[in-house]
Amino acid sequence: MTAEPRTTEQRPLVLGLAEREVRRQGPLAWLVAFARQSPLNVLALILILLFLFLVAFGSALAPHDPVKPNIQVKLHPPSSTYWFGTDELGRDILSRVMSGAKYSLGIAFIILSIALVIGVLVGALAGYLGGLVDEVLMRVTDLFLAFPALILAMAIAATLGRNLQNVVVALTAVYWPWYARLVRGQVLAVKEREFVEAARAVGASPGRVMLRHILPNTMAPVIVQLTIDVGYAVLATAGLSFLGLGAQPPLPEWGTMIAGARTFFREAWWYISFPGLALTLTVVGFNLLGDGLRDYFDPRSRQ
Amino acid sequence: MVIYLIVRRFFFLVFVLLGLSLITFTLSHVVPSDPARMIAGPRASPEAVEKIRKDYGLDRPLYEQYIRYMSGVVRLDFGESLSSRRPVNQDLKRYLPATVELTLYAMLFAVVSGIPLGVLSAVKRNSLLDAVTRTVSVLGLSIPSFWLALMLQFLLFAQLGVLPDGQRLPIGVKEPPTITTLYTVDALLSGQFGLFLTALKHLAMPAFVLGFGSLAIVTRMVRSGMLEVLGQDYIRTARAKGLEQKTVVIRHALKNALLPAVTVIGLQIGLLLGGAVLVEIIFSWPGIGRYAFTAIQNFDYNAVISVTLIIGFAYVTVNLLVDIMYVLLDPRIRVV
Repeated sequence: MTAEPRTTEQRPLVLGLAEREVRRQGPLAWLVAFARQSPLNVLALILILLFLFLVAFGSALAPHDPVKPNIQVKLHPPSSTYWFGTDELGRDILSRVMSGAKYSLGIAFIILSIALVIGVLVGALAGYLGGLVDEVLMRVTDLFLAFPALILAMAIAATLGRNLQNVVVALTAVYWPWYARLVRGQVLAVKEREFVEAARAVGASPGRVMLRHILPNTMAPVIVQLTIDVGYAVLATAGLSFLGLGAQPPLPEWGTMIAGARTFFREAWWYISFPGLALTLTVVGFNLLGDGLRDYFDPRSRQ
Repeated sequence: MVIYLIVRRFFFLVFVLLGLSLITFTLSHVVPSDPARMIAGPRASPEAVEKIRKDYGLDRPLYEQYIRYMSGVVRLDFGESLSSRRPVNQDLKRYLPATVELTLYAMLFAVVSGIPLGVLSAVKRNSLLDAVTRTVSVLGLSIPSFWLALMLQFLLFAQLGVLPDGQRLPIGVKEPPTITTLYTVDALLSGQFGLFLTALKHLAMPAFVLGFGSLAIVTRMVRSGMLEVLGQDYIRTARAKGLEQKTVVIRHALKNALLPAVTVIGLQIGLLLGGAVLVEIIFSWPGIGRYAFTAIQNFDYNAVISVTLIIGFAYVTVNLLVDIMYVLLDPRIRVV
């Protein structure tokens, strides 16, 4: 994790452009246009759709019970019955990987939703009000940024108790400051633009100016950051679970599975390989999507 | 100007350290566990636990405990580790060098291979090399470090037996005399070349795993920086003057493209120090990441707070150094 290698590439992005296009074309046409821009975008969309599908239907479609032990078939190599082999308790690894998507990926979505709400709130207030409010809010934000992320998360998870709910608390504390800083910067850039002034001039309330005019125009870089962070949050969740601070066995969370496979990796390569591959491919998908969106929103990289 | 920056950052550093200690302290003292009971051990009598509570000052109000703790920290006395029963200072002296050495080699690997890869990838844009480099950098950002570590251990240690599976040195091998506390450097300084190679072999896998993510980031930054610079007019001018490609790329383009990379490299050092936990645990690396993990599990708060403070300190200091370098490298930047 890897608590999060992060890019600090902060190019000015223009959502106006892309957003107008979504309105004009409808989301489906936009998807097609996005996919046509690069084959990597297609790969990203395929991977993400696959894993989103697993989040929704993975447990229902799993060929075997992901949790119930079946000792007779323990540590079987991949076969026509058990495509990904079985683990030390004879559970089907394919089924466990499929139903694990909703823990690994689902938790990441929850973490980022909360982090986004807090970050937007703090960032928008700081950027819009300025002055002392800005100073106080941003220093607190910087403080959280200076915290060694994984150690903060470990401390929170260990203190509150080892389960997925507390992983959400711990990683939300790690991620919100990035959004606060990002949104503040964008708000500062947008709030002096003419259309905001125009909205104020016709008597729009501060709340309306914020919600209808400023915030929507700050969202492009936030969306890009969110996409990339889904991958990192998946890695962080899995990392904490791997350390025993998150999901607990027998939950088929991918990090927990890798931790369990550690003892058997000499005799059962499949046990450790498939959950790790699932993790990697999920994160690859979101990283590629993030890159693709960045290029798509960045007017300089368009032909 | 630089002085102003330093002064400003110094105040920020003090603020950060206070904040970090306050948060960690609060966090570790609202734990639903009893530190006095932890120290006394599970079989101690209630009286013994009470005595320890008094002796360690654990019966005092929280703010008093905090002030007492911090007045020690100011004198660089981090108290006693509740699990190892040694002064935290001693523990840190033992574990910090291992993390520093690991981080340095990870960073070295990331920078030494990331910069050329990024440059080549940009110069030969859309070539096979570019495609391979971009794939590697996406993988570097995506592969879970703990999984990569385990897979490499399986392949390079268990299957091929070419690299050791962990530790700084094989068991029973005497460490080099302490000069800089970095085993590789100390081994060289004391003329033990064999020992240097052994230490290097032990560093190889953990440093690679730890540095892989940073390699990806450095490569991407250098590549995108180079692409932007290579499209600019002064590069065309340099080419028009008839300069060699090599001169143009290295002397004219790279120098300017490296600027954003410097920031990122700085940030990476801070992140790696804190991010080494997983790698250290898997490779039984006796560093502060693993120390912090054990401490957190044992509710050994003196140790947890000290590690947090040290990493926070390193992070802010490295950022300051990066900013100073930035100002020195780019005369256009004015501190606001």
